[in-house]
Amino acid sequence: MSTAALSTEQAPAISVPLRFFVIAPLFLILAAFILATNSVNPFADAHSPALLAATHCITLGFMAFIMFGAMQQILPVMIGSPMPGMARFSLLPLLTGTLSLAGGFVLTNPALLNLACVLLGLAFLLFIAASLISLIRAPAKNASRVAILLSVLTLAMAVTLGIWLARGYATGLPLDYPNIASLHIKMALGGWVMLLIVGVSYQVVPMFQLTANYPKWLSDNLAPTLFIALLLSLASTLSDATTLQALAEGVLCALAGCFAFVTLRLQSRRRRRVADATLNFFRLGMIALLCAAGFLLSAFFSGQLRTLSLIIFILGFALSVMLGMLYKIVPFLVWFHLFRGGMKKGVPNMKEIIPESLMRGHFWLHAATLLALLSALFRHQFIWLVMTGLLLQGILLCIALYTAIAVYRRTRRNAEEVLS
Amino acid sequence: MSTLADYMSTDHKSCDEAFALAEDAVYAGDWVTAESAFNAFGKDMARHFRREEDVLFPAIMNANGPQGPVQVMRMEHAQINELIEQMAASVVTRNAKSYGGLSETLLIVMQQHNLKEEQILYPIADRILAVGREALIDRLKAV
Repeated sequence: MSTAALSTEQAPAISVPLRFFVIAPLFLILAAFILATNSVNPFADAHSPALLAATHCITLGFMAFIMFGAMQQILPVMIGSPMPGMARFSLLPLLTGTLSLAGGFVLTNPALLNLACVLLGLAFLLFIAASLISLIRAPAKNASRVAILLSVLTLAMAVTLGIWLARGYATGLPLDYPNIASLHIKMALGGWVMLLIVGVSYQVVPMFQLTANYPKWLSDNLAPTLFIALLLSLASTLSDATTLQALAEGVLCALAGCFAFVTLRLQSRRRRRVADATLNFFRLGMIALLCAAGFLLSAFFSGQLRTLSLIIFILGFALSVMLGMLYKIVPFLVWFHLFRGGMKKGVPNMKEIIPESLMRGHFWLHAATLLALLSALFRHQFIWLVMTGLLLQGILLCIALYTAIAVYRRTRRNAEEVLS
Repeated sequence: MSTLADYMSTDHKSCDEAFALAEDAVYAGDWVTAESAFNAFGKDMARHFRREEDVLFPAIMNANGPQGPVQVMRMEHAQINELIEQMAASVVTRNAKSYGGLSETLLIVMQQHNLKEEQILYPIADRILAVGREALIDRLKAV
């Protein structure tokens, strides 16, 4: 068992996760801009190039940036193993790759799509390799490690399928687009995002609110069963076994619903009564996950519900949980790096780094964006409200992150002046 | 048979409970209860640190256990103590805002510290101190 892992030196410099975090909200703004300028209506056409561009701005531009940054920070604590430095070199190819992909879709430009395949392939290769090295070296053999490992494996599958699709679009290959796209979405959302959030939740839900631990029957079995259901989905789609495909989808929905339900229950019985923005974001995220699972199960009756389920999963579940995590991680990082730098007095506490009113305001704005999304199902014109919500959220998150960085810089400058 | 990991993790949980009681009282504006709950929390933490620094860590070192992790844990204890001292000052001045911010900070520092101990250090201790573990647990209880 490696014990060298347990060293504070494994915490990366504050700039490592923050560089990923500060780019993320810019992509929310870009997504809103693409949706607005191309008059997209996801409920009328779920495959329009502009919608694909905006979606990838959110999933790659926002979500991947947050997850890449956060994993480099939390893996050392959660599984006792730092991520090799090569992970941080994924930033530039991820940034340029996502921009090329979005550009390639909006401008229907094959050269940009091809370029995106190379750049994103490189970014994910670096990140997946670094994650696997960290996971294999991990001294802690816990349920989180299993879930994160499976999440990285499904990410590799999602990326492979995504590159295959993008190459197909670029070259006009006659691929089975609907089925490959469906698998790509399942692996990316049901696999990578879901499994990562599950693995991280096992530790942060009890930690942030002092809840009981997740029940052992759930933490031991959820991630492996989800992974098997995803493989079943893959096999049944490739072999055209539609009944099995529906069954796998049902299992995925049931597992996601079960996770959301247990999390909400744990949080309702939390020992720490103080409610904060993070808790609100998490709860909203879990309610959205329940809705997404329910809508997908009912998609048999209407194709629109399938689209709604996907959007609720991305904006309602994944985005909520990630925002909740960010509003806890960023203040902690600023405090930790100031404190570790040798300062004792004059270090602002976690609540003095990003104003609580801003975080609460963002929560309500986010909840309103989701309500607008639901209303857009009935009145498609309301999509513009969703775009406005995303735009404002991007701006607000930029303000929050730059405020935190300003506090960090100001405190360090003041301390240096005192010393000199 | 109880393990060191079980015993020490339970100790973490009882410190968490004391932490939550104090925080609840501060947010309720009940400073009399807050003061006694905070003092109880401080005592629990101090006893937990003594259990580790006076009994468990030396036992790990004597069994040729890993030095680095123990060193890091001691450093984190110092960080936690610094925060508890600052919280004590805000209890004296009855400053709920400052207490709330500090307790939020302490919670994360404390929880990630506990996580590292529970997942890495305690299992190592259970492995290398398997012989005479029960006597060691008795000594921990006596602190």
